[in-house]
Amino acid sequence: MGLTANLYLLTPEFALAGLAVLVLAVDLVTPDNRKALLGWFSVVGLVALIVISLFMLWQHQDTLYGGLLAVDAFSLFFKVFFMGLGIVIILSSIEYVDKYLTHPGEFYGLVLFSVLGMNVMAMSRELLTAYISLELLSFSLYVMAAYARTNARSNEAGLKYIIIGAFSSAILLYGVSMVYSSLGVTHFAAIAEQMAAGSGAGPALWVGLALLLVGLGFKLAAVPFHMWAPDVYEGAPLPVTAYLAIGSKAAAFALVLRLFTEGLMPAVDQWRIVLAVLAAATMLVGNLVALAQRNIKRLMAYSSVGHVGFILAGVAALSTGSVLATNGVIFYVVAYSVTSMLVFACLISFFNMTGQEEIADFAGLADRQPFLAGAIAIGMFSLGGLPIFAGFTAKFYLFTAVASGGLLWLAGLAIFSSLISLYYYLQVIRQMYISPAAPAPTPLPVAGGQDIDEEEDAQSSIDEASNGVPEKEDHHEDGHHSPPPPMPPELALKPSALMIGVALVMLVGVFWLGVYPAPLLDAIEAASRAILPGF
Amino acid sequence: MVPLVYFQLLSAALFVIGLYGVLARRSAVLVVMSIELMLNAVNINLIAAAAHLGYRSVGEVFVHFDGQIIAIFIITVAAAEVGLALAIILRMYRNRGTVNVDEIDLMRW
Repeated sequence: MGLTANLYLLTPEFALAGLAVLVLAVDLVTPDNRKALLGWFSVVGLVALIVISLFMLWQHQDTLYGGLLAVDAFSLFFKVFFMGLGIVIILSSIEYVDKYLTHPGEFYGLVLFSVLGMNVMAMSRELLTAYISLELLSFSLYVMAAYARTNARSNEAGLKYIIIGAFSSAILLYGVSMVYSSLGVTHFAAIAEQMAAGSGAGPALWVGLALLLVGLGFKLAAVPFHMWAPDVYEGAPLPVTAYLAIGSKAAAFALVLRLFTEGLMPAVDQWRIVLAVLAAATMLVGNLVALAQRNIKRLMAYSSVGHVGFILAGVAALSTGSVLATNGVIFYVVAYSVTSMLVFACLISFFNMTGQEEIADFAGLADRQPFLAGAIAIGMFSLGGLPIFAGFTAKFYLFTAVASGGLLWLAGLAIFSSLISLYYYLQVIRQMYISPAAPAPTPLPVAGGQDIDEEEDAQSSIDEASNGVPEKEDHHEDGHHSPPPPMPPELALKPSALMIGVALVMLVGVFWLGVYPAPLLDAIEAASRAILPGF
Repeated sequence: MVPLVYFQLLSAALFVIGLYGVLARRSAVLVVMSIELMLNAVNINLIAAAAHLGYRSVGEVFVHFDGQIIAIFIITVAAAEVGLALAIILRMYRNRGTVNVDEIDLMRW
């Protein structure tokens, strides 16, 4: 069989790459006031691709390039999920990009490229392929984190992200090289075969696997490798923060699931306890440190660290005989993504109106914007895991799986951490509903200067630096002291119809997953069976 | 033939030197260079392993050049990574007038 015999199965990926390049090309001939059309164009393209993938790949089970890529229910599920996520992210960033960022065409192009990277991550069954697709995702995210290029905080986020990202890639690759030198293979299935046969087992293999785990831990922002996450999340433009918190995590978990079920299952007794301890530390530290946060982006960053801990607990409970843990992990990833997206859509909308992102700024929001406040409250309830919302169902499934996987103490700890997390989620709700409204909001000069001439701005900031005027260190506490942007973005009084629409769709999703998750669970079950050996 | 373990020691030494550089260097540019050193350590490890493993078949697939192929991919990706990192460092310099990682502290917990 030639390597290209079933190349047509990759049509969605080729088309997605083509779409991304097309958006970049069309950007060149689009007049400046029409750039939002590029966003809509990308959305239409992604919708078409979802339809195409569903029609072409439904119930397909095949591998490509000698087993490098798998086309199965698992990759199809995540493909549709990632492309749907791309649609939501683009829709919720159109207004933001218009207001605060320059070069919209490239922004949408980068989103498309990162979706391509995530798709391939869900498909890859080999370490190098997984690494390349991971880097495609990460490179797009590095640029997007630094996208507000005249804004020092965004630059800082980008710099921290790329240095930590490259550093963790190096560690991951060193792990890959150790695994390769002791086993001689890089395919997940072949790794499992060799490990089951007991060949090549030795210190080198264990060091390699540990380094692999450390590299992935950095990408997932699991404690103790999480220190970069809050800074990057805070500095990045808000839609990018949402994308980082949801997309990169979901994709990394898709990769982790496939790697651990298809590749590392024979060594499950060795890594289970390591992952369990990692999960316990992650959920405790994430949720405890979140208690002290004042900035809503940092709060969401630590909250996402906490949720990574929960999901890792599910990964630690993986076993060959049962789909329970895999189901729980995938369902949690979906529920967490939908809920976070609801919260982030509201935050983006709020930021578009006021330019504020401190938790204190939300005081009295319930009087001014009842819809936004209500939607954020529902999102927070769901993240905290209260019943009838998606968060509860997801936690229920996941913790049940963890407990029945023999890790009862971890399930107990997870429930305890959920209780802690309720405190800071309810703090936000208290601000919105009980605290008195602040006087007329004034815009903070955060994320992204206006559309000013780049050279001029760079020049002035260098002048400022060389004149010995120190940068304000604490924008945080007294943002009002820092110089206002040349042209403050005009403030809208109402959330735009588009953002309300996105929030409404996510709201429906949160309730749907919380009340009637059965159809989704069927799809997830099929996905789990595709990756678990023995089914 | 030189034993594999010599190459692994060389690679480990390079990796640790790179690691030290990432942790100890103050200039962002030098941090990026240290990361490159770590990636080159990986390449040495891979190529030495591939040469030692030789020509053999795993299942139905013949593998011979796996290690070298991975190394070529890593070189390519690393080049792209440096390009991106330098671009971001340049933006940093234009906006803040410094690339010292100790002074890049607008956000901290």
